[in-house]
Amino acid sequence: MFTSKKRVNERYKIVGFISSGTYGRVYKAEGRNGRLGEFAIKKFKPDKEGELQYSGISQSAIREMALCTELSHANVVRTHEIILEEKCIFIVFEYAEHDLLQIIHHHNQPQRQAIPARTIKSILYQLLQGLVYLHKNWVMHRDLKPANIMVTSAGKVKIGDLGLARLFYKPLHTLFTGDKVVVTIWYRAPELLLGARHYTPAVDLWAVGCIFAELLSLRPIFKGEEAKMDSKKSVPFQRNQMQKIVEVMGMPSKERWPLLAAMPEFPQLSALAAGNPRLHRPLGLETWYHNCLKNHQYPPGPSIDSPGEEGLSLLQQLLEYDPQKRLTAEKALQHPYFTAFGKPSESCFEHSKIKYPCRRVSQEDNDIRTSSLPGTKRSGLPDDSLIGRPAKRQKSDYGFSFQR
Amino acid sequence: MAANYWESTQRRFWTFSKPQLALERKKLEESERSLVTMYPLADWRHLSIYFFNPANKSRAELTKIARPLSIRQQALATAQVYVRRFFTKVEIRRTNPLLVLATALYLACKMEECPQHIRIILAEARHCWGKPVCQAKPISTNSRPDASFDDISKIGECEFTLISELNSQLIVHHPYRTLAEIQTQFQLTQEENTLAWSIINDHYLTDLPLLYAPHVIAIAAMTLAVVLKPTQGGFQAGAANMANALQVLGGARNAPGTISTPRYQKLIDWLAESSVDVEAIVETAQELISLYQVWDEYNEKVCKDQIAKFVKQRGLDK
Repeated sequence: MFTSKKRVNERYKIVGFISSGTYGRVYKAEGRNGRLGEFAIKKFKPDKEGELQYSGISQSAIREMALCTELSHANVVRTHEIILEEKCIFIVFEYAEHDLLQIIHHHNQPQRQAIPARTIKSILYQLLQGLVYLHKNWVMHRDLKPANIMVTSAGKVKIGDLGLARLFYKPLHTLFTGDKVVVTIWYRAPELLLGARHYTPAVDLWAVGCIFAELLSLRPIFKGEEAKMDSKKSVPFQRNQMQKIVEVMGMPSKERWPLLAAMPEFPQLSALAAGNPRLHRPLGLETWYHNCLKNHQYPPGPSIDSPGEEGLSLLQQLLEYDPQKRLTAEKALQHPYFTAFGKPSESCFEHSKIKYPCRRVSQEDNDIRTSSLPGTKRSGLPDDSLIGRPAKRQKSDYGFSFQR
Repeated sequence: MAANYWESTQRRFWTFSKPQLALERKKLEESERSLVTMYPLADWRHLSIYFFNPANKSRAELTKIARPLSIRQQALATAQVYVRRFFTKVEIRRTNPLLVLATALYLACKMEECPQHIRIILAEARHCWGKPVCQAKPISTNSRPDASFDDISKIGECEFTLISELNSQLIVHHPYRTLAEIQTQFQLTQEENTLAWSIINDHYLTDLPLLYAPHVIAIAAMTLAVVLKPTQGGFQAGAANMANALQVLGGARNAPGTISTPRYQKLIDWLAESSVDVEAIVETAQELISLYQVWDEYNEKVCKDQIAKFVKQRGLDK
């Protein structure tokens, strides 16, 4: 008979509810009994709603628990402890007041105002350091997006949500068979869209490129519409997402990406081009970038207050079609973008007068033990396979509301 | 060796010195004094053979449920490490070991990216240990079907216990990875590689996974495989051969240059260069030798009955 040694309510006082997703719910908490500080507690929901008996923990929860326990880096959200208590799993994380989605959101209103170039540089620098650490430890994040990147009130950037992360050292099965599709569609690397069976940590660097672009323009650079899984549960080609990429970047070519033709969905690409003359006159990343800088009134010419030409060069090398040519996290850190005008600040808020609102915490649900969970059952496949993130998840991420 | 082993939870929390490990076990036994006296158990290595023996025709309990599912060796190895770690924290007589085995396998498969649905594991476990489909077998106390496998809830609950006792430290580093790396470096023959691989498989039957870093085990396995000189006809890593190998190694340490064949010499040079702890390798070899020695005295029935006795009498299978 399993009896838990630790009880979540004895150790933490729940302050309120933060967010929910397919995995369960996240609460804000304060330590009790001498445990100081604030925490974010993620409660995994049981695999089936209202499950009264033990039914086995999902593979993604197992992965996240194991990785959170193993990893420790200043730019990865710290795990304080994991509590197993009466059929529930709680992961206790350090609390972060902000995340990139919220920061982008704040700059989008009321009057659009760009994120300071120095803030962006510091964010990217810290993000890449966290990523170097993960990749050195054979961990691919696979779901980097603004909502998953936390920022503390001290301006420290922390990679969060390792729910889709996994070890990539010699997987027993190809990574493809495990969980079909990963990464929220807007940040999904082209090799994934083209059905690559064996993908690499380079998928995370594509996502970093997308995030960089979004920090500059305050909206997702490739905002495609997700094609839904059909009734046969086969994975559809994400035509619209690929199209959004090509509209800016142009068609990938075999010259620049030698293994392109070997991609399972390669034929789809020619079909895509055939029906869409616009794709032959792409905007080009350079034009996109310069328009973006102009629209957001970054000062022209080299300056500490502009991401400048070095920023473009870094972005180009992150949004490189060929995953083998794409910058690694380590190489990206050595890019001149980070050395022009001095080293990036340790705190991304240094030199910035902007005050970001605190994370909104709702009082609707304060009972972490008994609260019923929203019914977003994962579709298909046994508990051990996770099929991407349904569109619902995206909506709920972007449905975060913040105090103004 | 991957850079991350040095900061791993395996190195920090699950690698012991021999005296430390002995102390942990003694503490556990003393806290359960009466149980330990009431239900004597065979040597741990015998129990390990009974639970895990990886050999082809083995009737070891874990192997019985894993074989029909063609579960990869790495997942089996991880399961064995979980079980061994778990029993350093929980007295075995307080558990239903078969349930722990099935659960460790279920959990290990998820961690090693070859997941099996809980119902599949349950079906195999029930087939081996649970309620018989038809009541053909006579029912005595010792063959009362194990109710732990009536439905998935017991495995699910045991999973919570297991993870909780292991402190969610579920990532296990294995010697196979280092072996694959040094195999090409040292140009092992097919036979040597096979032998090294099976030595690694066997080391999970001992406490070695709790005592040494995986790369030390891998190098020890490779060294022994080279010194043991497997031939085409296959080779048993028996105690006598192992002892010979040890002598060769010892000779090399004490009087360099005494080894004549170029292959040995290359190995010895390589060991010297790689700054591995030769002492640890010798100890590993010794540990394996004593495993093969006690193996001769292994009696499956004794282990089976001893386990069944406390499980049935204490009602741990209900």
